[in-house]
This record gives sequence, structure tokens and C-alpha cells, in this order.
Amino acid sequence: MNAALILATLRQRLASPSRLILLLLLGGTPLFVVLVSPRSGFAGLGDCYFLGLVFAAGMIGQDLSSGTLPLLLARPVTRAQYVASRWIAAAAGTFAVVTLQVLLAALIMLLRGVPLPWDEAALYLGTNALLALGVTAVMALLSSLAAGLGDLWLLFLVFFSAQVLEKVGQFKSWGWLVRGAEELLRTLRPEFSLTALAGGGPFPWLALVTYLSTVTLCLALAIVVVNRRELSYATSN
Amino acid sequence: MDGIQIESLTKTFRAGRVRALDGVSLAIAPGEVFGIIGPNGAGKTTLLGCLLGFLRPDAGRVTVAGHEPDDLAIRALTGYLPERLTLDRWMSGLDFLAYHHALARLPAASRASDAAAALARVGLDAEAGQRSIRRYSRGMLQRLGLAQALLGEPRYLFLDEPASGVDPAGVVLFRRLLAEVKARGATVVLNSHQLDQVERVCDRVAFVRQGRVEALETLHAGAELARVLRVRGPRGSIGGAVPREALEQAAARAGAQLREIAPPVARFAVGDDEGAVRLVQSLVAAGVPVAEVTAEEGRLERLFLEDGSAGGPA
Repeated sequence: MNAALILATLRQRLASPSRLILLLLLGGTPLFVVLVSPRSGFAGLGDCYFLGLVFAAGMIGQDLSSGTLPLLLARPVTRAQYVASRWIAAAAGTFAVVTLQVLLAALIMLLRGVPLPWDEAALYLGTNALLALGVTAVMALLSSLAAGLGDLWLLFLVFFSAQVLEKVGQFKSWGWLVRGAEELLRTLRPEFSLTALAGGGPFPWLALVTYLSTVTLCLALAIVVVNRRELSYATSN
Repeated sequence: MDGIQIESLTKTFRAGRVRALDGVSLAIAPGEVFGIIGPNGAGKTTLLGCLLGFLRPDAGRVTVAGHEPDDLAIRALTGYLPERLTLDRWMSGLDFLAYHHALARLPAASRASDAAAALARVGLDAEAGQRSIRRYSRGMLQRLGLAQALLGEPRYLFLDEPASGVDPAGVVLFRRLLAEVKARGATVVLNSHQLDQVERVCDRVAFVRQGRVEALETLHAGAELARVLRVRGPRGSIGGAVPREALEQAAARAGAQLREIAPPVARFAVGDDEGAVRLVQSLVAAGVPVAEVTAEEGRLERLFLEDGSAGGPA
């Protein structure tokens, strides 16, 4: 991990006006739900999946397309550090917006005289922190594969393909295809709900292992892809 | 083993169909300013990419001070200015330098002062430092890129077309900075199409064509008298009525040097355009009849032309 890279990534993400507008829209709109029905609690805020997408889109690909990567990697920074720093920065940025949302939602509830469900807030923040780490890990992998904002297209392509496969599986009654498509869709959205833990049931080991293995695999593959990539004008043209 | 060793380096692209480098072997000594010249598509930038560890050679080996070029210890001693300079345009100039200062693992305590000093070193003022990079002109970008490359006084400096898009004052500044870098013993690899600049600053030059080193020229880096003027007088004047001593004295007064006399032509070495003007004035004042003055192409230019590569550099 590299602190300078993490800070620069956060600043780079927030320097884009279109990204800022999207973050404001995605972060601000759920607050109206809380404003209208404050008793719905933090569940009214939804989750941070799309916030994570906005923060992470192009995190590596934009460096590839803009040509800033050779200058960066001429410095004493390993490619693994580079990928990990970009990932942590995108996840941290997403989580910061979620935290701000929670604080504003709590303020709205206070002003509307609704008692604050602190335990719910803690579970909400924890679950969204894990979702932010998950979705940004997937985007790190997709972004290492495609220049510019091509990661969003790749995400859409995989999502669309999985949906089609699922429908075909259902139509043909091929259970294995349906399960495969569902697995693919779950991979695009690695999450682990802490709310299930609070319920008092058996510990969801499978869900936790699935989550951790997906995040680890995505990051490892992203590092391999970036490590194998040659940086040259001759190969980029 | 502090220098750069290149052994039988071969690099191909497109599944081996394009051979960018073909068995290149070079040894660049510590403290040497080494130029790479050649026509477009010769493999110069590919060679630089291999030296920086950005490209994996198909065969052969590159070592910098005995280490792989992508060794982090070597990266910490390396400065690099790419040809197609793309900077993080959302930053200010000072922020950009502070960012690279941090990436280079230089001490945080001196970050702000080092960034400001680096900016001043390349002739950019404090106001430019506060300005967003997206508002920089091409020449300012190149200066900022050079300031970034010089951060932390690197021991190995790789410059790809450093004076590209820079105004004449910037070119002079670039030469001065390179002289400073050389004076403190850094090893410099310079890839440039500006042959007169290469000729002035480099100790040795490799002429690369079709992925091979076709010639290695040893130059006299920093030579004050880098340009040669041919002065022709009427028949019987230079080398006849006008003796060698008179020409030598006139040249000395102008800060020039008489190279040779082949009547009715004398060849003089001068530093620059102003030196050329002073020489002609001095010759006329000494009563030397001057019928024609022409500038001779430099050694590297001759190398290019003699090579027959379609009229030289593009």
C-alpha cells in the first residue's frame, strides 16, 4: 500500500465534475426517503453498490488510456502496491460517502424526533464497508483488463450475459446453467451481510468464505494482469 | 558495475512479426551522457522502454548498476521524462511535484521546499506552480516533466525527447540542467531527434536503425565550439594574401577557432549564432575579403545523411 497513491487516487476521483455529480445524486437521493419516512431507519438508504461503481470506474483503465502509468511506475512503486492502493482508495472513498449519508440520515431522524437505532447504524456501516471493498475489488479486475472506462462496459457485458444465460437455463430447465449464471451475478457483487450475524442463527461460513475468496481472487487477478502488461507507445498504438 | 549494460537485447511485437530491437549490445559508463539517435521506428523508444523495465525483452539482458531495471532500489535512483508527456492534469504543478516527491520516497519534511525549488529550477514561477496543469502550455508541461525527472537528484536519468515543444530559452535551460546533472556524476540516456542538441551534450551517441546499433560515435560533450562555418574568400585571398596567423587572430577575437584552411576556404568552429556573427564581423574588421559564409552540418547530421535514411530525421 502506498499512502501517496491512495491520497492521489481519492483526489483524482473527486476532481472529475461528472463523477461528483453522480456521487451527489446517488448519495443524496436516498436521504429524501429518510426525510419523507424517517421511521424506515437506515434501510431507506439502500446500499453502496452504485456508489462503489462510480468511485471505482476507470481506476486503472484511465491511467492506461491517459498514459500516466509509465511515469508512475518509473517510481519505486510495485505494480501490486499500485493496484492495492487504487482499490483501497476507491473503497475508502465509497465508505466515506456512506458514512456521510448515515450521519445526515441520523441528523434528519433526530430533527424529526425519531429515536436513533445505533445498533442498526453500526450493522449498516459494517455491511456497506464490506460491500464497498467487494465491488471495488471486482472493478479493479475489470479496470485492469480494459482501458478508460471500459470496465463499466465489461461489467455490463458480464451482467447481461449472465442474465441471458439464466433465462436460457430456466427456459430449457437446465439447473446447472441457472446456478452458473447466478454464481456469475453473485461474483459481480461480493457482499457479506452483518445483519444476518445479528439474527443469532448459525454463522454463515459459506457466505463469508465466498465473499473473501471472490475479493482475493479479483485482486490477485488484477495484480497479475497489471504485472503482465507492457508499457510502451509501441504496444499501445 | 554502476553503469548500464545491455547484452544482445532483442524485442519483438505482434507475435514476433515486428522486430523492434535486434541483438542490441551497449555498455554505458557511469557518469556518461549517452545519446540514442535514429530515424522514426528505429527502436529508440523500445530500447528506452527495456532500459526502464517497462518492456520484457524476448532475449538478452539489461542491468542497471548490476540490477534488473525494475528493481525498486534502482527505481529510487531513476528519473524519467517520457516522450509523450501525459501528466495528471487535475493537479497543480506544485501538487504534481509533491506527489512524485512522495512516490520517489524522498523525505516528507522537505517536500514543499523541494517541490518549489524544482519548479524554480526549470524556470516556472510560483504562480505557475499554483495553476492547474490542464492550463499549462506544451513548453510549460515539458519543463514540469523535466522538474519531476530531476527530483531527488537521480543517479540515472532517462530522457525521451526532452526539448520537444520547448522554446529556445527552454532549450538553453535544458542544456544547462543537463550539464549540472553530468557534473554531479549522473548517468544520462538521451533519446532525441534534435541532433545539434545531442551533439552538444552527449559523450557518446548510438545510431540505431531497424533495431540495430549501426554506429557508435564518441563526441566531446559540452564542447563550447559546436558549429562549423565555412568561409570562402576570392581566389588568392584565404591561404594566399591572407595568412593563417591573421585568420587565427581574427577568430580568437571572436571567441572562435580556426579548424583548417583549404584555399580559398577556411573552416572555423563557433559556439552558436552569435558566435558566427562575431566571427564574420571580426574577419571583415581584419580586412579579410569574405565572399561566402555557409554553416556546415554537424557530425551527427552527416551520419544521418550518409546513412541514406530518406533524408534524415523526421
